[in-house]
Amino acid sequence: MNNLNMDLVLFRGNGREPASNVKTFILPDKCFEKGVGCAWRNGNKFAIYPRSQTPSKTASTDVDNKILNIRQDVLLFTSILRKLVNESNGTYLLLQKAAETAKTTDNQVEFLKLSRQYRSIIRVCIENLQEALSRVQDGVEKNNLLSYITILYSIECIWHLCEILYIDNIPGDIVLPYLLEWVRFHFPCHEQTASHLLEACERGSEDHQDYWITVIGMVVQGRVDVARALMKLHSAAETNEFKLVDNSLRSMPVYSVYGGISTGEFTITWKHWQAECRSKLSSGVLSNEPKLELIMRLITGDFGAFSSIRGDYTSWYDLLGGWVMYTAPWARRHELASASAACAELGDALSNSRLDRAIRALLDGDLYQVIHEIQQMSDNGWFVTHLTDILYHCGKLRILDKHQTDVTNRLRDSLILDYGSLLMEHKSLWTVGLSYLASCPPEGLRRAELILERMPLKTEAKVMRVMAEAKKYGLVDVGVSACVCQCAVQGGVGRLGAGVAWAVRARSGAAAGRAAHAALRRYVRARRLPAEDLLLAAGPALLLHDTLLFLGKYCDFHRLYKDREFKKAAQLLVSLITSKIAPDYFWETLLLDTLPLLESDEPVFSSSDTYEIMLCLELKPAGLDSEKADLLRLALARNLARTVLSEGGENKQTEDGKTT
Amino acid sequence: MPIDVQGTFVSQKINKVRWIPEDYVETKCFFAGSWDDDENSIKVWGFESPHEDEEVEYPRQLSEYPVDGDVTQIKFTEKNKIAVSISNGDVKVLEVSAYDKHTPLREVYHWKKLHNYGENECSCTSLDTLEGDIVSIGEDGNIHILNGRRGDVARSITGADSCSLHSVCFIKHNEIITGNLRGHMKIWDLRSPDNKPTASFLLAGDELASTCIINHPTQPHIILAGSESGSLAVWDLRVNTFPTSLLNAHSAGVTEMQFHPENPNKLLTSSVSGELWDWNMEAMTKSSKGPDGQLAWLSLDDKNTMMVNSLMPKLHKAINTIHCDKGRILCGADNEAIYLIKNLKY
Repeated sequence: MNNLNMDLVLFRGNGREPASNVKTFILPDKCFEKGVGCAWRNGNKFAIYPRSQTPSKTASTDVDNKILNIRQDVLLFTSILRKLVNESNGTYLLLQKAAETAKTTDNQVEFLKLSRQYRSIIRVCIENLQEALSRVQDGVEKNNLLSYITILYSIECIWHLCEILYIDNIPGDIVLPYLLEWVRFHFPCHEQTASHLLEACERGSEDHQDYWITVIGMVVQGRVDVARALMKLHSAAETNEFKLVDNSLRSMPVYSVYGGISTGEFTITWKHWQAECRSKLSSGVLSNEPKLELIMRLITGDFGAFSSIRGDYTSWYDLLGGWVMYTAPWARRHELASASAACAELGDALSNSRLDRAIRALLDGDLYQVIHEIQQMSDNGWFVTHLTDILYHCGKLRILDKHQTDVTNRLRDSLILDYGSLLMEHKSLWTVGLSYLASCPPEGLRRAELILERMPLKTEAKVMRVMAEAKKYGLVDVGVSACVCQCAVQGGVGRLGAGVAWAVRARSGAAAGRAAHAALRRYVRARRLPAEDLLLAAGPALLLHDTLLFLGKYCDFHRLYKDREFKKAAQLLVSLITSKIAPDYFWETLLLDTLPLLESDEPVFSSSDTYEIMLCLELKPAGLDSEKADLLRLALARNLARTVLSEGGENKQTEDGKTT
Repeated sequence: MPIDVQGTFVSQKINKVRWIPEDYVETKCFFAGSWDDDENSIKVWGFESPHEDEEVEYPRQLSEYPVDGDVTQIKFTEKNKIAVSISNGDVKVLEVSAYDKHTPLREVYHWKKLHNYGENECSCTSLDTLEGDIVSIGEDGNIHILNGRRGDVARSITGADSCSLHSVCFIKHNEIITGNLRGHMKIWDLRSPDNKPTASFLLAGDELASTCIINHPTQPHIILAGSESGSLAVWDLRVNTFPTSLLNAHSAGVTEMQFHPENPNKLLTSSVSGELWDWNMEAMTKSSKGPDGQLAWLSLDDKNTMMVNSLMPKLHKAINTIHCDKGRILCGADNEAIYLIKNLKY
């Protein structure tokens, strides 16, 4: 069998972008020559095979008679990303607990904490990836790591914005300071140059090639103080033009919720300030200093100015903070749509990456679109699952289907179920997957049941662990079926004692019966009783099945016989014979076991016992061949002769009464 | 200083961790054996602080030794030699270089398919060591006594148990105790030639497996066994054959127990339920003196006097292993992380 390792991106049909999501993979042509067949295997695997085959006599190495196993290459199963999977699982479970308590109390702070925890997990993962990147030599590996890093960067960026807009509790909903922080955090360009220049603190810093770009970058990121400090380092900083701009920057009103003035009041002051700036600009004093003029135009929120610097930045959202700051600093969370639309149209390079679209949708408040976009990211659903879950628990998610019914619940569940099932496929991560499935009852548990039942169990340690997990989530059937399987496995390798033990654990009468039959048959064949240690100490567990009980008692008989307690042994044997629960194939053994006891020096069977044995012997003619039967009849007759004589006359009368 | 817990994710479910003993300095390095993955290995890790002055230490992988199957037990035979049992039925003795921990582990002895079902593979579930002697047990119910110095099989008890064996412990040089799937405990005298246990008794009435056995470091006649149900049984082998105490402890199976090497009154236990507990056994030993003037262990009804602390917030996944050295505890868990707990008072 060939294992083709492929990155299969399966088409998710939600109709928005059809063809672009379909990837084509070329399989060897010969596969298809004879009519191809396809079958699903467990998880995201399927097999492709030639449907009609002509058996070839010579063993060929061609592909035509091969089965191709095709599986999805799961990014999350790479060693570094497994840390992300495991660590985030802990946070996810904490979140479920927090959500449980949030039903009675407001728990927004807790959610924010957990959201930050998620982000720090992503950050750690990025750092790990970067460290790994610095170590690898192989080109392909390097590319892979780079693409992982890109994916995680986008995830971090979107998550942070999402946290600001939906999870964090922002005073007065004034989002600007948070937005600026977001821009600074994720697009820290120019920061280094700025600090470098400030540290050097030299007059005439404009000789540095990035001087103006840095100053403008600082203005756009809303770091007015830094921009002003940098401008002071210009050799012409004492000129009127510089002083004018510096003055304008300094006098810019900054809104603060706790500042004691109302939004309306602030708006008036701010508009007044901006009008002043505009008048300075139109007076033409700055016409000799194009860079200063640009700064003035930027702080007056001039679209053309922003457009002109767009080329210096990789994305439109680098400018988002600045745009909001200089056009509508009082903007609330839900008022960012127009800002994002304006920023997206800056410049002529219309970028339309997934990240762009996700951020646009986020600012527009269209969470459905956000989920749709991030679902397409090739992180195997890690991001979309966790983000949707936290938004759902924060109560910020409301998705309606085309009939206007609320399907938020179902959306969240389906994402978690997909993610959980994906992890269950992995040999080691199944416990993680299980905890996701278990958080979506009832369907999750049903799925878990189906997957757990099909999980290969190679060692008892794993069986016991599966049982412990099943018990934790109340999946009784899984525990039982694992035991029954293990019973069969142990029976198969001839470990009958272990087989019985597992059957007893499963409380399965049928399995116990099978194991007991196997033990009895083995005794008939090999004359060695398996699992004596177990049977003698088993106690009430033997009641699970008649045959098992019989086996236990028979074992007890052997013990008594070995201990030379012939009287007790004989009594037990007679009760075994008369109870008639012995299986047919065992009658011969059972009857012949009476022989040595019949021949013992002291008679151990009473006459009535002897009659019973005789009766059974005649009732089961198929049990013994004639020679052995005759031998036994002889022994029985002799025993009868001994016992009838020794038993008293009174006794004899009752015996007669019984037999007639 | 308060107890400090610090976790590191290692992308492998860890089944066993063991500090590598050092002579005069604080232990820095440890073994970690993984389980239940496509590829398993024994790794040597060392703690390093990235910045000299910082308190925080991060484990860094020093070497890796791949194994074919789950690592089920790691025990030291000598200071730098470990005996390892593997779920494919093998037992290995591996040596770590005393000077450079980066050098890969060297295989000293390898008993291939020591435990087997004939042709079929069978897990070697655990082993114990005592001064170079190794006793290994398996799902096949056999016991093998191995000589870790010469590398031969000194004695085999085949068919020692009709069920699979899951835990073993040396009581003396010539005496071992085993526990099976049903919690059936048997004591074996290695000098006696016939393959019969000298004593046998049940761990508890629930017929669940005994997952680990240890004996008390200063009173070797005291035996403790952990059960799959999470309870803890204590026997005094001098007195009788039923447990002196049966404590309902963890909510799921006990995975490993260790008496603190410096303070025998301190017991550490880990559990499938994700708990890591620190028991103060002082109350158990001190309270009463038996008629012969020797210490007697408390019986069942006084268990409320026990002092139990949780050392770590409960994990969502099973903790499989603990190992303690002075004030530092290592534990490995199914969430693919290794935790270092510092500043334990003992």
